[in-house]
Amino acid sequence: MANELEIRNLHARIVDGEAILKGVNLVVPKGQIHAVMGPNGAGKSTLGKVIAGDPGYEVTQGDILVDGESILELGPDERARKGLFLAFQYPVEVPGVSNANFLRLALQAKRGEEVSVSEFYAKLQKALETLEWDESILTRYLNDGFSGGEKKRNEIMHMMVLEPTYAILDETDSGLDIDALKLVAKGVNAMRGPNFGALLITHYQRILNYIVPDAVHVMIDGRIVTSGGPELAMKLEEQGYDWVKELAVAN
Amino acid sequence: MELTTTLSRDLVLQLSKGLGEPEWLLNQRLAAWETFVKLPYPTTRTEEWKYTDISGVPFESLAPEQPRGRKGPIPEAVQARIAQAELAGYAVFVGSDLVHVELPEAYRAQGVIFTSLHEALKERPDLVKDNLFRTVNWNDLVGPQARRPENSKIPALNAALFTHGVFLYVPKEVEFSKPIGVFKYLEGGYLSGSRTLIVGDENSQAVYIEEYVSPSQVAPSVNTSATEIVLKQGAKVRHAHIQLLGQGFYHFHRQRALLERDAALNDLVVNMGASLSRAEVQSEMLGPGSASEMLGLYFTTGTQHVDHYTLQHHVADHAYSDVLYKGAAKDQSRTVYAGLIKVEQGAQKTDAYQTNRNLLLSEDARADSVPQLEIGANDVKCSHGSSTAPVAPEELFYLMSRGLPRHMAQQILVKGHMADVLTRIPIEPLRQHIESIIEEKVRV
Repeated sequence: MANELEIRNLHARIVDGEAILKGVNLVVPKGQIHAVMGPNGAGKSTLGKVIAGDPGYEVTQGDILVDGESILELGPDERARKGLFLAFQYPVEVPGVSNANFLRLALQAKRGEEVSVSEFYAKLQKALETLEWDESILTRYLNDGFSGGEKKRNEIMHMMVLEPTYAILDETDSGLDIDALKLVAKGVNAMRGPNFGALLITHYQRILNYIVPDAVHVMIDGRIVTSGGPELAMKLEEQGYDWVKELAVAN
Repeated sequence: MELTTTLSRDLVLQLSKGLGEPEWLLNQRLAAWETFVKLPYPTTRTEEWKYTDISGVPFESLAPEQPRGRKGPIPEAVQARIAQAELAGYAVFVGSDLVHVELPEAYRAQGVIFTSLHEALKERPDLVKDNLFRTVNWNDLVGPQARRPENSKIPALNAALFTHGVFLYVPKEVEFSKPIGVFKYLEGGYLSGSRTLIVGDENSQAVYIEEYVSPSQVAPSVNTSATEIVLKQGAKVRHAHIQLLGQGFYHFHRQRALLERDAALNDLVVNMGASLSRAEVQSEMLGPGSASEMLGLYFTTGTQHVDHYTLQHHVADHAYSDVLYKGAAKDQSRTVYAGLIKVEQGAQKTDAYQTNRNLLLSEDARADSVPQLEIGANDVKCSHGSSTAPVAPEELFYLMSRGLPRHMAQQILVKGHMADVLTRIPIEPLRQHIESIIEEKVRV
């Protein structure tokens, strides 16, 4: 069995609309963290949503495989139970359900069995400690009235508690100040290990100073046009995206 | 058109006699009967019934439910609720029969009366006579209903043929810390009718929860209820009407509260059951400083139809009212809300708000909302608003992407939609009860 998240020649469009992904090929082996960088409108966030099963998009060609198994026919909840997690760029505010209650429901749904309160709180405590966060965040309604930074940090807390095999972080760094960025990075680094792979979608190189990726891919107009090591991110930071765009046109 | 009817004037006579009622009450019933016979049923051409078609409701083909003198047992579903509800006292009806009533002696010693309407007619005939039919009757409509007499048809039926009821009298200065619960268990298959009369004397305080339950599926059944609330100066009542009847029921509720100076009503309608139901809730601010909070929650599934009407009638100045009705509809079900804030000429410094919000969980579900204002005074603060929107797909996606199956994600969104009403229910066991009803309904 392959131990990887594989995106194979993936084409996707907005339902009854414009094509966004035009043949993405990408492999994230378990145990590695890969970054996907690219200018606005390249399709980075769409890639994250399509992997997670956003019904707003339809896959027209290609496949997504988790450990060798296609997940294309699965709903977003089933994909989560297969070990996928998407940290949203814009998490949804849901009044009426507390952050902790929601997370416990999610963990139970993922595992398909009751999770004891003591085990659940032990996991929460560990996540809160890593994220240097106060317990009061647990009793607040899910994302309701959270600041932008709190929402992002909360996505990381959800990830730490749900312990996915493959996480996609969709611009989790955007809009964060340096302290918040360091905490988010701390959370992701705490997850690092042989049983965790991640796809870090970002516009900026900044977060890669704190989460050193195993590989960097550059996405332009719905395709990965070049890949490399962390040095590729540095080059993009210095030279911008124009040279890659030219590369894309040349291809 | 009904060609035959199970109803008759003789039935009214026989019922009143069987219940041992005084002559004045029989005469009232007969007057109501005359009105009932004379009036047509409301149709979808009646403005207030535009979205609710009752042409198929078997008002006159069902057997009218009769008292049968049962003294028990308390149905299991009701026992479970009583165990959970943390009540000061409670009453249980099975059909027309009061099978159990209890109230701690301490309250009775203070002069509280909590019993069946017919028992109260013996204990305090004066109090009953002064207040029964005072707010809900067959000839004294208020607001837009007054423009179309057929709005009295069903209340007239109820007044002529009601078989049972509850009377609560809270004497001056007496305060309840816990709720009183009234459970009406209907077996179905009949035309049933009941009345509730609540009189809060000066500066009294009480909480009254009325709950309708039945088996989940019944033969066609009609239930009418009338609730009259009279609040003297400074009286405070928290009132809840909770309708959890099974499929097969047609349920019609009319309530009207009179609020004297500084009186306060906190009202809650929870409309979850029945095939078709309509709840009309009217508050009349007759004294300055009076306040009426009117909350509503409804959630329909399958082919259910629920209809709500609220009236905030500001007669006195310096009064406050706030309507917040929130609903959700799934499958092919339908919800209706219509409400009016009516501010009379002299009612300056009125503070009145009205909000209705609807969430649609499927493409075939439908919600109609008609908020209205009629303002006759010039120094008032009034606002109204309504909205109907489908569940946002990105919200559903977010919750499902964490591993929750669709029905759980919907459940969370429905609870989230209703959160601002739920948080305004300070009675913890009641709120939990309502939340669990919502959870169950999403699962189906």
